[in-house]
Amino acid sequence: MSELIGSLFVLAGAFFLFSAGLGLLRMPDAYTRIQAGTKASTLGNILVLVGLGVYHPDWAFKLLVVAYFVLMTNPLSSHALSRAAHAIGTPMAPSTFTDALKDRDDEGKARPS
Amino acid sequence: MPSDDEKEKLVSPGLSLNLASLWLLLFLIWLVINSSFAVPIVMIGALISFGLALVFVRRSAVWHDVGLTPRAAYHFLAYTGVFFIELVKANINMLRYVYAPRIDIRPGIVKVNLRLRSPVGRLALANSIALTPGSLVMDISDDALFIHWLDVKTTDPETAREIIAEPFEKHLGEIFG
Repeated sequence: MSELIGSLFVLAGAFFLFSAGLGLLRMPDAYTRIQAGTKASTLGNILVLVGLGVYHPDWAFKLLVVAYFVLMTNPLSSHALSRAAHAIGTPMAPSTFTDALKDRDDEGKARPS
Repeated sequence: MPSDDEKEKLVSPGLSLNLASLWLLLFLIWLVINSSFAVPIVMIGALISFGLALVFVRRSAVWHDVGLTPRAAYHFLAYTGVFFIELVKANINMLRYVYAPRIDIRPGIVKVNLRLRSPVGRLALANSIALTPGSLVMDISDDALFIHWLDVKTTDPETAREIIAEPFEKHLGEIFG
């Protein structure tokens, strides 16, 4: 029984990870791709870890530490990537609607410091 | 580097409590990862985690904001609950975008007002925002976050704060101030 439940969790996690990959391919620009990758892969990872925890209950605490690690580092890496992309002027999708960060940077350049 | 003022503050009654709590946390992580209670492993773990805790508590003021009260513990639990609900909602949203026949979004970077003052609180808020529906923190300034939003609903910093940050800010404010 626990094998079945664990497998279902791992399957659900794999589905989210697959969606993250599909999102990477389908989204229009770098930033939206980072978004798709971050969110779906975080939940996918956690579900896979939960599934493993059901398989091997004695690993539970180690898996919990891994889950916290993923939760803390995943947003950080996506933030670093998107910030670097913006800093070197990676183009945004044509449907982009507003860019407050660019406005602020332009303001900073216009004003002599 | 901490200034003289801050150094004065570091030698406060709160220091030993902060040191003890950080030591305990690191030591627990060590035990969990080793999954062993053999005497040499426990002793080495205690030494290493004490050294790390000492360095971090003396070097940075970050740990001073964390209050260890029952109230903070309650809000931490509530925050974890809110966080997981938002995480699942974000993923369902993302699946809708990804599997839609035509991706119909209006992305953009908006400015969001920020109320939290403490660095750890801001870090937690920024990380939470990165994992919730269609938003990703790009940059932080004194009083505002710059957020890449997958589907921009408003460009007003205050309204955006209510939509994006409000659910977390309430609890994080209680924990970190």
